This record gives sequence, C-alpha cells and structure tokens, in this order.
Amino acid sequence: MKPFRTLLLVTFSLSLLAACTQVRPWERGLLAREEMAWRTNALEGALNDHIFFSKEASSGGSNAAGGGCGCN
Amino acid sequence: MKAKPSRSLLAISTTALALPGIAIADAPPVNSSLSYQVSNYKEDNLTREESPFGDLGRYDIDVHQFQFISPIGRNFSLQVDANYEDLSGASPWFTTLSPSGSPIVNLSGASGIEDSRSELSVGTRYYLENGSIGGNIGYSEENDYRATYGGISAERHFNNDLTTVSISLSYSSDDIFPTDAEIFNRVISEDKSSTSAAINISQIINQVSTFQTAFSITEQSGFLTDPYKLIDTRPDNKTQIAWSNSYRRYIRGSNAAWHVNYRFYHDDFGVTSHTADMSWHQNFGNTIQVIPMLRYYNQSAADFFTNVDDFSRPATDFQSSDYRLSAFGAISAGLTIKTTVGDWDATVTGERYLANEKYSAFSVSQPSAALVRYFRVSLGLDFSF
Repeated sequence: MKPFRTLLLVTFSLSLLAACTQVRPWERGLLAREEMAWRTNALEGALNDHIFFSKEASSGGSNAAGGGCGCN
Repeated sequence: MKAKPSRSLLAISTTALALPGIAIADAPPVNSSLSYQVSNYKEDNLTREESPFGDLGRYDIDVHQFQFISPIGRNFSLQVDANYEDLSGASPWFTTLSPSGSPIVNLSGASGIEDSRSELSVGTRYYLENGSIGGNIGYSEENDYRATYGGISAERHFNNDLTTVSISLSYSSDDIFPTDAEIFNRVISEDKSSTSAAINISQIINQVSTFQTAFSITEQSGFLTDPYKLIDTRPDNKTQIAWSNSYRRYIRGSNAAWHVNYRFYHDDFGVTSHTADMSWHQNFGNTIQVIPMLRYYNQSAADFFTNVDDFSRPATDFQSSDYRLSAFGAISAGLTIKTTVGDWDATVTGERYLANEKYSAFSVSQPSAALVRYFRVSLGLDFSF
C-alpha cells in the first residue's frame, strides 16, 4: 500500500508540473495577491508551528528548523 | 482584500511592462511593517476517568509576538522577531494502571508550575539579480532552558522566474537545567544540539496556481529525555525527515484563494506522521477577509512508548509515557477574520484542537490517557509604512 501511495503522490505532483505554462511577468498579478502567499500571516504561521511542535512528535518540512524550546 | 504583492513578483510585474523580456533583479520589501499578535490557548482539564486523583487543570499559555521588517537601502532587508510566552499549569508526571486496567495520568501539580519564555531573533537578507541570500541569529531563554541558534538560506529564480529553488541550514545549541532538580532527583544540567537542512522548490503552474515541494532533514543529539517525567529515557540521537507539499489556487469567480498543504514525517524514534490542512481565503470587497481552516494530523507511536510507566525496568531501558510519542490523531478547525483599514490590518482567530486515539489512521495498541485538547484565540495588528 505504501509504494502505491508514494507513486500516486509523485504522479499527482508531476501532472501538476506538466500543466505548467509560460506565464509572462505582466500575467502574474493574481499570483502576487496577498492571499496567494505561501504564508499569509507570518506570526500566525510561526505560532502554529510552535504550538504543534509542543503538542505533537513532528516538526519541519518547508524550512530548516529554528531554535529550540523546553516545550517538547 | 487589497493586493499586497510579494516583493519579487511586484518588481517583475511593474518593470516588465516597460522592458518585456529583460530579467528583473530581485528586490527587498517595498514597505516596512510592524506586526503584533497576542494569543491565549488553554488545554482542557483532564477528566476524572483520565486522572482519578489530584488536580485536573493543565496548561494555560499566553503568547506575545512582535515582528519588524524593513528594507535597508536598495538591496537589503532587516527582520526582527521577539516573542514572550507565559505559562502556568501542570503536565503529566507519570502514568499508572487503574483498578479497571486502563492507564491513568498523574499530573505534576497544577498549582505550582509557572514559567516564561523570551526569544529574540535578528535576520538580514541581501537581494541579487536572480535571488537572495540571508542569515539570522536568535536566542531564547526560559526558567529552565536556553537556546542559541543561527541559520543561513539562499534562493535563486530560474525559468523566467517561474521556478524558485531555496536551501537553508540551521544550528541550535540548547542547555537544559530543570527546576527543583535536587528535590525531585532530576538531572542538574544537560545540553543538546540540533542541525537542520532543507531544500524547497516552488513552481508557478499557470496564471492562478502555484505549487511548492520541500524536504528537510534534522539531526538532534544530546539530552533528549524529558527531565520532568518521573521515569523517561530516550536515545541521545534522533534523525528526522519531513516532506512538505503546498498548492495555492486563486478562484477568479469567487474572489478567493484556496490553500492545501500536506506533510509526511518520519524519525528514528519510530514516529511516522501525516498532516493535511486546507484553508479558504474569501475576500469581501477590499476590506474584509474570512478564512476558515481545517487540519487533520495523525502519527504512529514511538518504538519505546508505553502508556503505563514500568518502574521495574532498568533506568537505562528506553521508555516514555509522554503522550506526544503515542499513536493518535488530531483534528483542528479555525476561523480568522481580517479587516484592512488604510495601512492597518487587524485579525482575530479562534481555533479548536482535539486529539484522540480514535482519529489515528495508524494502529493504536497503547492509547495515551493524556491526549490534549485546547481552544486558542489570537488578536493581531499589522501596520505598513
């Protein structure tokens, strides 16, 4: 089951990339909207990272880990 | 909601109108910003079934966050982050077996625990023709914990700025000096370190959607055991990997954006987890935005997790009844309302988090009696100038 799930995820990712089109700079206005940012609220994102880090066993993903705390 | 363009896309969009086809230099933020958020989250009390004796109250935490970002000259930006956290309450101390055979929790003493945490981080970024490089250093201090950390990162744009690759490295050196160490026979002073690396690839798919995939690896070494548990022994090394994927899509007809994120995690304590969350960013005119959010998390148990502490085992055997190492799932739902007035943004957020072994997709052979549930509320202010 695990290899199937991995294959499904990779196939989905590649199909998204295959759908890429050449988007000219002046066509990127919608992408530049605030609600399209990877993180729309930096403080909210940092707080969630910190709380989930202190309540769950997992961390990391999009960036290298920052400083530690005694919360986990 | 008014558009606040990201720095690189704004530079690309405006200058390209005059010089189509010419590569545009990356640029620092257009404006400075000052942000503040205050939050409170309170863990639900344990039930008498979970903890037949003693107090039932758990942690009550207030958090204050500050951030300042500013361009410096034509090619630099400065970022300063400061956090203050105030914590009171109790945490699980040890677990035993009830007469009926189910695990029960004994808390560490709800009336006695008070702690505060202060953190300061300063970072800078230098913007080049097709990317940027940056670094940050930080310091965090609590009554019983101290961390000094630093990191560097670099990003480069390719393919007419449709593709961005970034790498980051960080290192943290932490000192642990538990309170009441001699009274409760805890370690007096220990240390640990953490080294982390990540690579992140972002891709513009079309005029309304983007995709990002990232991989990180973290190595921790040193004292990884919880000194506040009556019995808790963990390995002195831990390797963690995480793979995150994010998708953003703007829905033209609805004036809204849809966010989807997924993360896979695994470490050599034996924990594997899956995290999926989505949010819908709905604009109402240029001044109001409503953002509902839903998150599902589930993890397997660490190899040495036990839901009932075994005091007959040698102290050198790995074991822990820490609920965070048990198999469980968690569902959280939240709502943010944001309003914009001139250069000011104000947000209010409410979130409910529920952890339960029944929510886990992994098999649960030893459910923890101390899984956490909490409600969080946050208020934020942001000023651009």
